[in-house]
Amino acid sequence: MPELFNYDFMVRALLAGLLVAVTVPVMGSFLVARRYSLIADSLAHVSLAGVGAGLLLGAAPVALAIPVTALGAVLLEWLRQTRRLSGEVGLAILMSGGLALAVVFANLAKGANTDFSGYLFGSITTTTTADVVTLAVATVVVGTIITINYRALLHIAYDEDSARIAGYRVTFLNYLLAAMTAVMVVLSLRIVGGLLISALLVIPVVIASQWAGSFLRTIMLAVATAMLAVTGGLALAFYAGIAAGGAIVLTAIAMLIVAMIWKK
Amino acid sequence: MPSHASKTLLIDADGVTVRLGNELAIDRVSLCIHTGEFIGLIGPNGAGKTTLLRALLGLVTPTAGRIERGKATYDYIPQRGATYSGITPLSVLEVAGLGSRGHKPAALQALQQVRMDAFAYNRFNELSGGQKQRVAIAKALAAGADVLILDEPTTGIDEPSQAAFYDILQSLQQQGITIIMVSHEVEAVLKLVTRVICLNRTILYDGPPEHFETDKYLPQLYTAQHRQLHHHHGAPHA
Repeated sequence: MPELFNYDFMVRALLAGLLVAVTVPVMGSFLVARRYSLIADSLAHVSLAGVGAGLLLGAAPVALAIPVTALGAVLLEWLRQTRRLSGEVGLAILMSGGLALAVVFANLAKGANTDFSGYLFGSITTTTTADVVTLAVATVVVGTIITINYRALLHIAYDEDSARIAGYRVTFLNYLLAAMTAVMVVLSLRIVGGLLISALLVIPVVIASQWAGSFLRTIMLAVATAMLAVTGGLALAFYAGIAAGGAIVLTAIAMLIVAMIWKK
Repeated sequence: MPSHASKTLLIDADGVTVRLGNELAIDRVSLCIHTGEFIGLIGPNGAGKTTLLRALLGLVTPTAGRIERGKATYDYIPQRGATYSGITPLSVLEVAGLGSRGHKPAALQALQQVRMDAFAYNRFNELSGGQKQRVAIAKALAAGADVLILDEPTTGIDEPSQAAFYDILQSLQQQGITIIMVSHEVEAVLKLVTRVICLNRTILYDGPPEHFETDKYLPQLYTAQHRQLHHHHGAPHA
């Protein structure tokens, strides 16, 4: 057995990373298809504001970040649906606003700055058993909701008007997907960090779509790719002594480059 | 007015007005659409054509008036169509419920109907504009659509591809599918459709193409500048 499995914290890190690798690219597949993949980045920045507020108030940062981020997701979806702002403008404003609040809160919380960087760039090796259990529950819930609504979400991702005409509850499902993305973004903060989470949402999907096929195949390939990136990244971090979040994302990017050269 | 003796009433719109913000998009539009019709909806830019289509489909709520839709499966193919990046035409049909293993023959048959079966396993985003629109129609057929609503489907498509596309629409109409199509290609539309509706916020003409007086309506609708612009838009570049 490789040496890294001799350490409990590495086993927990791997389990948490693999759970994120299963869930996040699944949602990423739907978001990339509807050209809305930047939502994860914006929500991650909003979630950092929630974390900052938590650190400032002495509350559990993740517990506070979930409702804050979910609210941000609902606001974004509302802006998009009512066409108050174009999708990308809303994303940009929420992204910078979220980070600005996060910086102010973290600054006010002073002594908590060390903790804060763990949410910015990830701190997978500090994953607790409770974190793993929470992620496992979230994975089951999100997986079940997506399985039940798979056909509708697929239809909406590619052709929202046609899905509406076909009678799907498009507005409700859009809010639901945004809220699920918000929850998974917050739960992934400790794994890859707020500044890197969108990489796990987008890169595996882009790698998978190099091999054109069915949407389901894209999802499965994306999940497999993300699992490989998490495992490879963690091993790299362990043996090279580098930051795990960064190592996971860089592994994913290296895989993307290989995939693009292969499919050239 | 066209006769609809043996046809079933599909859409009944009565005095439909739609305001988008402060702008009056369509004004007191009344029309009945029957099964099997092939309707060409023409009019200048900003005439409210797309708004009318979206209102007929229930995607836009009228400010005034009422629209009743009969029981049928409708599908809408917008101007640029959906972007199915990373998947094949066969998988596009999966979106409509076909394409998975058990349904492959039916999916291939839908692609064959639009003469795209040879491209079933290509990448959707590498197809030409005309081919993409044909796949969009196959998706609608796979979803069991009896009414196809198309918004400028041939914009940016070269002339031979346009002809092939119109050919497919005509054969679908002969199979009993009702088609409502917005187009700027007035001459082509007049040869193709069974009924022309000319819209410029209100309906200016609604009747058979053979009675449509091109000389009377077109100068009202398209200024010389419009026509010239449109000519450039229609240039082959797909």
